[in-house]
Amino acid sequence: MDPEDKKRRGKDTGMIQSKQIEGPKLVLVVDDHEINRDALGVILEDAYHIIYAENGKEALDQVYRHAEELSIILLDLNMPVMSGFEVMERLKKDEQLKDIPIIVLTADKSAELKALQMGAADFITKPFDIPEVILARVSGLLERSEGRKLISAAEHDWLTGLYTRNFFFEYANRLFHYHPELHLDAIVLDIEKFHTINAVNGREFGNTVLREIGGEIRAFLSETEGIACRIEADRFNIYCSRQPDYHTLLDRLQRKVSMLSLKASIHLRMGVMLWNQDIEPILMFDRARAACNMVRGVYQNPLMVYDDEMHQRELLNQRLLNDLNNATKEFQLKVYYQPKYDVQSDPPRLKSAEALIRWVHPELGMISPGDFIPLFEGNGLISIVDSFVWNEAARQVSRWKKKYNFLLPVSVNLSRADVFDPTLVDRLVKLIEENNLSFKDIKLEVTESAYTDKAQDLLNIVKRLRDLGFEIEMDDFGSGYSSLNMLSDMPIDVLKMDMKFIRNIEQSETDMHLVRLILDIAKYLRLMVVAEGVETEGQLNLLKDAGCDLVQGFYFSRPIPPEEFEKLIEKDMAIGG
Amino acid sequence: MTLKELYETIGGDYEQALRVLRMDKLVDKHIRKYVKNGVVEKLVDAGNRMDPNEMFECAHAVKGISGNLGLRELSEMASEIAEEFRAGNVRRMSDEEVAKKLSDIDARFRTTADGIRAYEAG
Repeated sequence: MDPEDKKRRGKDTGMIQSKQIEGPKLVLVVDDHEINRDALGVILEDAYHIIYAENGKEALDQVYRHAEELSIILLDLNMPVMSGFEVMERLKKDEQLKDIPIIVLTADKSAELKALQMGAADFITKPFDIPEVILARVSGLLERSEGRKLISAAEHDWLTGLYTRNFFFEYANRLFHYHPELHLDAIVLDIEKFHTINAVNGREFGNTVLREIGGEIRAFLSETEGIACRIEADRFNIYCSRQPDYHTLLDRLQRKVSMLSLKASIHLRMGVMLWNQDIEPILMFDRARAACNMVRGVYQNPLMVYDDEMHQRELLNQRLLNDLNNATKEFQLKVYYQPKYDVQSDPPRLKSAEALIRWVHPELGMISPGDFIPLFEGNGLISIVDSFVWNEAARQVSRWKKKYNFLLPVSVNLSRADVFDPTLVDRLVKLIEENNLSFKDIKLEVTESAYTDKAQDLLNIVKRLRDLGFEIEMDDFGSGYSSLNMLSDMPIDVLKMDMKFIRNIEQSETDMHLVRLILDIAKYLRLMVVAEGVETEGQLNLLKDAGCDLVQGFYFSRPIPPEEFEKLIEKDMAIGG
Repeated sequence: MTLKELYETIGGDYEQALRVLRMDKLVDKHIRKYVKNGVVEKLVDAGNRMDPNEMFECAHAVKGISGNLGLRELSEMASEIAEEFRAGNVRRMSDEEVAKKLSDIDARFRTTADGIRAYEAG
């Protein structure tokens, strides 16, 4: 952007200028015949300020002199010295003047087309029409052109002075196409939990935060090439030349908002998509936004630069979302089972299993649940996956009951999305009834983070399910931020200790202490404990000695298809007892 | 002689003049100027030289001014000449016919001018 342009824009506050409060509008009447000037003058003088010119040259002088205030030009075409056409030609070439609306005064229809092509907005025919028509033409055109000014006033966001969305992308596209040498990066800035900041501190404070950010972004842009906008409530887009380190920019903006209030803790996060000559701004900002969303809630490192891995990830995600429907229909989804062993008996005995989803994609092969579960959790599609697993697991338990007369409860996952489905309880009851099972045959795992997030509704539902007879397991215990005193109030039967506790118990005395502590608390609360992710005999023995009830992990078996699992059942039955 | 009487004498449309100029004072001002502004003379002069561009421009001006003043007949006669010589239009009249029209305009203008001068004299 050229510096003059920038200066002009910088001055612009983006406020809507009201012409109404500035008195009558200024009209320039250009005609070489006094009778025409007079005729128009008497018609218009009650409503407008009028200045006159006798030919094109005089007209241009007047236009230059009154460029700022001039609202409209009534222009004759055939004039000595300089014709009306030439006046139009000159005006249309001038960025500042080209938008002043022009009404052409003409006696002949044939000139109208040419005038129109040259940018005339309307015509008044000579000999002059009745005055009401002329007044209506002038005021109508003024209204339309004021309308244009209103639109252009919205070029700037009223609150921050930055561009508004449409203008931003218009200018970004121009920069991208006409100034490829600039190599501009796309940056998205977001405020963590802005609605909470608004709710707690009031809207006025929220607006102050946005204004301060806007101000600091403008200050930043005065030092570098670039443009910015507030794209929606609390999100900003910045299109600027490459910075050595975007942490510097983020820190600068963060400092600015941190200074606003000691009480309110405001956290910014930032996503960056680096310049790529083949990618248009709109897509660049989509990606910057995706990067920005990746660091949602990641307060330690709230900056993410979009990279190829993320791109591949996005492509994959999109594909998986599209393919899920087929996956359920064509049985690409498989349920695998991982055993849980009672390690207090010797030898350990098969007690139950966890049902886990696998996706065998016809083209992508086996997809790890880690790749698609979080994706589907994010948009509610997880319910589809969950019900698939419930149905499969229930049928399987029923088959094994018949085949082996063996009591093997299977646990299935309950996602947040399921819990807020009003038909959940009915669906689960129906599931048990249709498969001739008892409530003890299916256990429900609810992840720890679901409890901590927004508890009461979830607690109520889980309590209802537990009252029906389902056993409830708290999954991933220790991975989030459960507080121990909450634990005593929760309607749960089993704690599943997150595998990260187990991983280092052989090496780390501290970790082992922590495990003992959890086991003690669980005993005190009369909760069973399952240790997840147990891989070695050393880990197994430590857990066994510490009094852990059940163990799940690769040490015994990875998740396996039901046919294979049957071998584990048969093996355990062979032990007898 | 009143303005209205003048218009009756010269066969003009006073109401039209008043519609455009809105007040007697302006009609008065411009009807007086009409005699002196010389556009009709210029048109006749251009016709004598058969200068098509100037004839168009002058005829155009006569048409507009006469029309605004409610001098409908002169306006329409000038319009014919303007159309005849508008750039791009095909000529329909012979030079003789044009000369005839111009002399008609000239004659019509002279009687009008006489009337106006009589009005000016009071």
